[in-house]
Amino acid sequence: MSLAQTWDSIKERELFVMGAVLVVFAVFPYLLTDFFVMNMVVESLESAGMEGIAGLLDNMRGWDELASLILIWGIFAMGYDLLLGYTGLLSFGHAAFWGVGAYSAGYFSAHVSSSPILIVVVGTVVAVLTAWLLGYLSLRRGGIYFTILTLVFAQMMFYLASSPLSFITNGENGFTNMKVGELFGTYDLGSEFIVLGDFIGGWLYVFVAIIGVICVGIAYRILNSPYGLVFHAIHENEQRAEFVGLNVGRYKLMSFVISGFFAGVAGSLFAIHGSYVPLESLYWTTSGEVVIMSILGGTGSLFGPIFGAGVYLYIENVVVSLPVIGDFWHLILGVVFVITIAFFPSGVWGAITKIRSLVRRSGGDR
Amino acid sequence: MSLAADIASVLLNSLQTGAIYVLLAVGLSIILGTLKFVNFAHGALYLIGAYAGILIAGEMSLSNGKLQEWGMSTIGLDLGYAAALILVPILVFVIGLLMERFVARPFYDRPDTDQILVTFGLAVIVQELFRAMFGGNSQNFSQPKWASGAVNLPVVGNFPEWRLWVIGITALLVILVIGLIEYTDFGLIVRAGTLDSEMVRLLGVRLDRQYLIVFGIGAALAGVAGVVGGPLELVNPNVGTGILVPAFITVVIGGVGSTRGAIVGGLLLGFVESTLIALPSLTIGSFTLNFAPWSQVGMYAVAAVVLLVRPQGLFGKEVEA
Repeated sequence: MSLAQTWDSIKERELFVMGAVLVVFAVFPYLLTDFFVMNMVVESLESAGMEGIAGLLDNMRGWDELASLILIWGIFAMGYDLLLGYTGLLSFGHAAFWGVGAYSAGYFSAHVSSSPILIVVVGTVVAVLTAWLLGYLSLRRGGIYFTILTLVFAQMMFYLASSPLSFITNGENGFTNMKVGELFGTYDLGSEFIVLGDFIGGWLYVFVAIIGVICVGIAYRILNSPYGLVFHAIHENEQRAEFVGLNVGRYKLMSFVISGFFAGVAGSLFAIHGSYVPLESLYWTTSGEVVIMSILGGTGSLFGPIFGAGVYLYIENVVVSLPVIGDFWHLILGVVFVITIAFFPSGVWGAITKIRSLVRRSGGDR
Repeated sequence: MSLAADIASVLLNSLQTGAIYVLLAVGLSIILGTLKFVNFAHGALYLIGAYAGILIAGEMSLSNGKLQEWGMSTIGLDLGYAAALILVPILVFVIGLLMERFVARPFYDRPDTDQILVTFGLAVIVQELFRAMFGGNSQNFSQPKWASGAVNLPVVGNFPEWRLWVIGITALLVILVIGLIEYTDFGLIVRAGTLDSEMVRLLGVRLDRQYLIVFGIGAALAGVAGVVGGPLELVNPNVGTGILVPAFITVVIGGVGSTRGAIVGGLLLGFVESTLIALPSLTIGSFTLNFAPWSQVGMYAVAAVVLLVRPQGLFGKEVEA
């Protein structure tokens, strides 16, 4: 067996994938906050007298908060891609599950229990039930009607939250009564992690990252099972899948519910992360954001959307502080988004994979 | 005020609210029906119409431009708004032509989802361009002076004059569009193209040109909606995304491709919205139910019910899902 083949067989193993994810998630905050290469560059620029550029690059360090936010949106986008990239259904209503998850997490934390784990469980369960209901209703139509129906139902949730239910959601001001307690009753999420605190950051990140790894594991399992293969089959040719004898409607609904599950997990984590649920989290532009992230990163791959979420949030938070181009970050993202759809349907992640396989082929080790 | 007056003014209000939806939906519907193109950037065209309207109206009015400094405001012409009403549709028509050629046409053969995504991206770009140019703050699009008062109508009593103009302009334009599609050769070709574009092409018709014009007309209607609807509210870069969802719902309620459906759908949504706002609160024992907060929810609920009961829309033809 050649080296490349051995490598291929290793990297297909679930244990390896999960281990790699764990490692990447563990070093990830370090890359954003205190990456030594960046430190060296900044220092050498300063000593060379180029304070201007050094200052700009200095801006790119110290983003402690961003790491957990990227993972949270990454979970959302990964789940969303299960629907869009694998099953081929374009939903413009996923803000509903994200928002409902966040609101129920918030309400639960304020009135029942402040245990972070329970908050996430409750937010997720409510989001899943909502997804089941809305999915059942929306999937009665296909194509653009499905997209518009998801949009209609999600907007209905937004307007429900904005005024008739404002006694629960606090209307325009967003839900502010969040109470986030200690993890396992001992570890305050705001405090520094016991081991390697400088490296990994606070308990909040650890909490989010562990749930993130679990989510990636679940998604990996689903997609690499015969069950996930059916999603792919539906995407390729719905009619043929039907003829083979698969209950396409049922699989589509399950795909919708599973993606709602991830949206719910991410939504409740988002509520915990900010101790706050803005009303906008239910507005349809939130759905738009997760669409942009998934497409940018690359649909139809497990890690593409997480990557896309990272790129999106990095630009939103870091690039926005740069002079001149900072004001246009959303515009730039829009342009990149349109170019991606028009010319690179597989997204950035897909483009990287393509380049890699090209390089490999020219290397001749296959 | 008597009950009759209340009812009459609610009906007029819903006519006006619905008129904006109708304007948007008719444009959206003819594009979707004939070109089979899903235009999520329709709200962006509304946005362009509203901002262009503000600019043109402000620049051209004698009441707040350069000429006022020279003491010429007393003529009271206030032509700015009228100019906007003529120039903006032309401008947005041209934008529509460009959109058809460079955005829509390359995407005709691609899946619906790609069309939705690319136009959604375009909408984001337009919105952010306006935010970059004019800032995120709301701008006041003032109503033209000649129509900013109130008229005393029989039964209804005092009613804002501008709202009557909105209804009138919408009615006129919708009649024109229906006339164009139902009673001209151009309309005949377009309708034939909807049914079987290949056959029409074989007959020697350059359908591309008709498609171009249909897209332009659809866009221009959205632009007019921006000019007409802008003065009813504050204009900011988010109004485009805000108006898109009701516009789509209108089309889908009415049935894709049906102009009649777009009109009925728009008026239905307008009626639900205005009526729920105007209904007095209901008190049962200690429990008081206010209807006003439910106005938006009600619109979407009606849409959902219509779609679930009659998926092809009120006036749509039966098609496979």
